[in-house]
Amino acid sequence: MSRVLTTLLTPLTTRQRLDLLAHAYPRLFPRAELIRLLRAQFGHIDALDGWISRDGVRVRARTPKLIYHVCAGNLAVSAWTSLMHGLLLGARNVVKLPGDRDDSSARGEILRFIRGLPAPLRKLVETHRKLDVEILRRADAVVAFGSDATMASLRDQTRWDQKFIAHGHALSLLWISDPSLLTTLQARACSRDILTYDQLGCLSPQAIYVPRGADIVALGNKLAVALEAHWRTIKLKPARPLSIAARIVEARDVAHALGHRVWLSPQNHLGWMLIHDPDPTFQPSPLHGVIYLREIAESKLTAALASVAGRISTVGVAGGISSRLENVFLSLGVSRFCPAGHMQFPPLTWHHDGRSTLGDMVTWVDSERGA
Amino acid sequence: MPSMTMSTLPDFAQPVSRRAWTKRLLGPIDEATWDELARGLFACQFARVPAYRRLCTAHGITPKQLVSWRDIPAVPQQLFKREKLFVHGSAKPAAVYETSGTTTGQPGRQHLLSTDIYRAVSIEGARRVGPLHSNPQFHFLTPSPAETPHSSLSAMFGFWQKASGQADSLFWIRKGRFEFDGLRETLSQAISVGQPVAICGTAFSFVHLIDAWADLPPLRLPPESWLLETGGFKGRSREVSKAELYAQLAQIFTVPDYAIWNEYGMSELSSQAYAHGTSGLHGTPPWTRVLVCHPSTGREVSVGQRGLIRWFDLANVDSVLALQTLDLAERTASGFRLLGRLSRTEPRGCSLSAEDLTTSATR
Repeated sequence: MSRVLTTLLTPLTTRQRLDLLAHAYPRLFPRAELIRLLRAQFGHIDALDGWISRDGVRVRARTPKLIYHVCAGNLAVSAWTSLMHGLLLGARNVVKLPGDRDDSSARGEILRFIRGLPAPLRKLVETHRKLDVEILRRADAVVAFGSDATMASLRDQTRWDQKFIAHGHALSLLWISDPSLLTTLQARACSRDILTYDQLGCLSPQAIYVPRGADIVALGNKLAVALEAHWRTIKLKPARPLSIAARIVEARDVAHALGHRVWLSPQNHLGWMLIHDPDPTFQPSPLHGVIYLREIAESKLTAALASVAGRISTVGVAGGISSRLENVFLSLGVSRFCPAGHMQFPPLTWHHDGRSTLGDMVTWVDSERGA
Repeated sequence: MPSMTMSTLPDFAQPVSRRAWTKRLLGPIDEATWDELARGLFACQFARVPAYRRLCTAHGITPKQLVSWRDIPAVPQQLFKREKLFVHGSAKPAAVYETSGTTTGQPGRQHLLSTDIYRAVSIEGARRVGPLHSNPQFHFLTPSPAETPHSSLSAMFGFWQKASGQADSLFWIRKGRFEFDGLRETLSQAISVGQPVAICGTAFSFVHLIDAWADLPPLRLPPESWLLETGGFKGRSREVSKAELYAQLAQIFTVPDYAIWNEYGMSELSSQAYAHGTSGLHGTPPWTRVLVCHPSTGREVSVGQRGLIRWFDLANVDSVLALQTLDLAERTASGFRLLGRLSRTEPRGCSLSAEDLTTSATR
């Protein structure tokens, strides 16, 4: 029997699945990071395949046989990561694809990702266009991305003993500690955070907060240059169909009428827009490259972000952050801090929404010696 | 045609000026007159509404630089939620009409110094391009204007009622309760004597009515009766398509499809457009213009293309004459085909948007 055929017919070990994933998508899932992820989650890379010793106790992780992934329509990357988790666990993965829309490419990107998997992994994946409640209820674990309403609806349809990992809506912020010291490189890093994935993910900043008293015009000018420079580097520029253009133009015109300072592309495109809103109270951005610049006294931050407390995923920091300010963000439920420029690229070991996503899906078996 | 100067602009604070303006609007309006009036009103509002002036300046448009009325900048509806757009500064408005939708915790507000022009054009507009041709017995599926003083729709229905000379208050939502039984009984009486009726309400209220009367036999409304629905019901208890709604209404009231009218209006405007039948196109009164524009260019789309509706309403003297909506339409050779409100539900997954924090609705 050939090696390829053997691989197709016999269950793969975790190490084999890891190697196949890393080989297929070396930039997305570097081998070393996958190993780090398994070690961080299970203590040992082989914990899914046999007994390992932990604190003097033999343990092994029992993996889910069937995982149902409900994918969101905005970003393919969350689905890719979810599938990577399922494949590392060796589960059968049923993917409920997002709807087909002319203003989103997520569905096609998810399908392309699956097609790019090596055959032994691809056979573990099947895709569905519609929600299959029967499979949803039969799955050992459900991983879902989408609106809070979608999460609630799915939750209602799951069994009480199912593992249900829901990622509802969240947002992220940028904090520039001293705008006068912001370097060109840091401004570019902020731009990368804002414009990556067209600002559609929960890791995308919707506002830049700076300490009160900053030179807003100088900062805005610097960021505008960086945003335009970064936009130019984007090869596959996101589309601006009517529905999206309407939101961007509405935000622009409201800001103009309110007398807020607006920075626009010198090329007159709608790829990005920076708006200084003197009101520090958080208001959601229409996304698609529209970012609000807000000044805030540290003592007012809690009140300004009250409406989104518990929904803030990541704070990207340009410069430094005091422990006092860090505590304020922690009290608002922030689950990740990172340097500006890294917001959209968390390590594979990132606790998405504060959870050990991979670890949450397994069940541990303990075998106590001498028992 | 010489353009109107500030010194010749009507002072909309004076009743006599408002009457004169109304008279001009309701009189014959050719293209040149329309252009003159639009330029004059634009100059007035540019001078007296600071937020509008800022928007126009950002677009590089001032009254002196204006080439065509088509270039008059339009304010986004959203701005009515963020700023008081009122020509008369700190003067006390006679009416403040509110939208119920909000993304900021504040409703949009339209301030009117007086309701005189709104009353005149909402009656005359419905006569010219809407259903007000005869004098049916009116039934309104809304609260009365007294009960909801901030509803422009209730106000308009109140104007219609008074203009018809009917003293009876037939507003069938009272203290938050829809009085289905009273409505049915009164309609039955009208039917028994062959009195034509007009039943007017939001699409949402008609859906409630359909649900409430689902098990009752249809009513056979007398000839010349008509129905008028307005607004949408997205996000409400249930949604039905326009075709489905009209089919159900036609069945319940035994009226032909063409006897069902749609009113397209909003709190931020004084004038309305009307269409009848499932596939009818909207007509607008002569003191208004509607352009279908693409947001990327800000320009009118070609015939057959889709864009967003931009209203120019010469009756909107107390705030701003040009309003940019998020209403999707197809430009036709003679006007526009309304396709509905632009969906706020763009493809998103885990990213939080304004809609997640709040809800939205209209009028």
